[in-house]
Amino acid sequence: MALVNERARILANAKVGPNLYLMTLDAPDIAAGIEPGQFVHMKVPGMEAHILRRPFSVYARDVRTGTLEILYQAVGFGSEHMTGLVPGQCGDAELIGPVGRAWHPADAKRALLVGGGVGAAPLFMLAESLAAAGARTDVVLGAQTEQALTCRARYEELLDAPPRCATDDGSFGREGFCTSLVAEALAEASEAGEQYDYLAVCGPEPLMKIVAGMSAEAGVPCEVSLEKRMACGIGACLSCVVDTVDGKKRACVDGPVFDARKVVW
Amino acid sequence: MGEIENALPQTTAPTKVSMAVNLGGLEMKNPVTTASGTFAAGREYGDFVDVGSLGAVTTKGVSLNGWEGNASPRIAETPSGMLNSIGLQNPGVAHLKEHDLPWLQERGATVIVNVSGHSFDEYVQVIEALEDAPVDAYEVNISCPNVDAGGMTIGTCTDSVEAVVGRCRAATKRPLIVKLTPNVTDVAEIARAAEAAGADALSLINTLLGMAVDAKRRRPQLARVVGGLSGPAVKPVALRMVWEVHRAVSVPLLGMGGISTGIDAVEFMLAGATSVAAGTVNFVNPRASVEIVDGIAQYCEEQGVQDVRELIGALEC
Repeated sequence: MALVNERARILANAKVGPNLYLMTLDAPDIAAGIEPGQFVHMKVPGMEAHILRRPFSVYARDVRTGTLEILYQAVGFGSEHMTGLVPGQCGDAELIGPVGRAWHPADAKRALLVGGGVGAAPLFMLAESLAAAGARTDVVLGAQTEQALTCRARYEELLDAPPRCATDDGSFGREGFCTSLVAEALAEASEAGEQYDYLAVCGPEPLMKIVAGMSAEAGVPCEVSLEKRMACGIGACLSCVVDTVDGKKRACVDGPVFDARKVVW
Repeated sequence: MGEIENALPQTTAPTKVSMAVNLGGLEMKNPVTTASGTFAAGREYGDFVDVGSLGAVTTKGVSLNGWEGNASPRIAETPSGMLNSIGLQNPGVAHLKEHDLPWLQERGATVIVNVSGHSFDEYVQVIEALEDAPVDAYEVNISCPNVDAGGMTIGTCTDSVEAVVGRCRAATKRPLIVKLTPNVTDVAEIARAAEAAGADALSLINTLLGMAVDAKRRRPQLARVVGGLSGPAVKPVALRMVWEVHRAVSVPLLGMGGISTGIDAVEFMLAGATSVAAGTVNFVNPRASVEIVDGIAQYCEEQGVQDVRELIGALEC
């Protein structure tokens, strides 16, 4: 769909985990048109001297209620300011969207989705669409602690197989990084003669780089969702460029989802 | 909210005010263009702005062949502004001609092409390559702070300003705008050199050289360490320089630097600008350029100004 700049009322803004927050916005135009993996470029209310918009992946949308959900982490001035916004008292946000290249699972029959930290959120709409298309979908999630695995319950509800989880402190699932779970999933699928035909990963860049390498070794097509500092968010300013084998590409509109084989890490 | 508001690119509102200006031979239907590098060549803003309704679209700087630009990170947010060090990344003049200029022409846009080069020869070659293309004026970029050769290194010395402007002047009869850097001791001296070498108009200011530091990591925020400051933070500096240059030369001025509203634009016109450019504000509000046109018209209506040209240099002091 064409891009819009939609004034969006903030309906809810709650802490859902350690340093993790869930914001619900009233944005029916974008909710109706957004595809899994696309993002919104938000003008956060009350930011005064901080003039730039912030890009946010969309965790979930509800076409019927016209709402979007955004899972975010407080990492800098903008996101920390957001944690203090009180629905009904703060002003409205403005959202440019839906922006960017969506996930392209093609006609995947067996997919593996890997989410590290808040990277679990931008994969959820993809999981929904894969499930609706009848693809067998497995999920690997990694986080620092059990409390930080905030997306786990929704994946459990959606999918037949519960997500394989890893936590840094071992408070839930495997102790350590989730990459070992990815390796196991790929090996098990290969042994069973049912190798994945699509892999999607979103999370910290080192995780995406490692998983991209594993997918290449296993011969499984892989997509990654990259995040860079952005100004315009619509492809004009060339702030958010990513090095690829085809030259510099814009994370905002040529991505954020890229074929992992094209990315120069 | 709703579909009607969001459905179409925004065009300027009807007004009884006469909004047309002439910038050194360039006829503009209103005084507002876009600052080079903040609007690409318009296409990215096509869902938001009717580019044909603007006074002009100024394209991102173009060189003869493509430039890769600088390493990332390329931007940093700073108080009431931002730093950038994009480094004039562009796919080259042939791409602009094939891909972007026809799109602008189809929409009836008035087009200013921002011309960049590593050498005096390259500026001339870019202009020569564009002489058969639908271009209404050139803006010679001798003020980019983010490249090692060309750019600001040319624009800070009167001898090189005269040399490059003189050569560009000889290459075209189209209106020639020269974009000045604020990173000089005396902007009026540079302005006079550009005028003497044949510039039809001057645009100012390009970005102010600046820097931002991440104290925790003890690293610069930008990969190139320094970059160009833009946004509302630079507006007082830009206004002062427009006023100084207005008093120093007789060619018309295209003023820019932190303009976010119609009133900001009016302030630049009062200080001596014939036309104005919306820059960083495009990143904040993609419809800003059109809203600034409407804001100027509204100011004129409220003040009983029938012709926007009455504002040019009308500062009382």
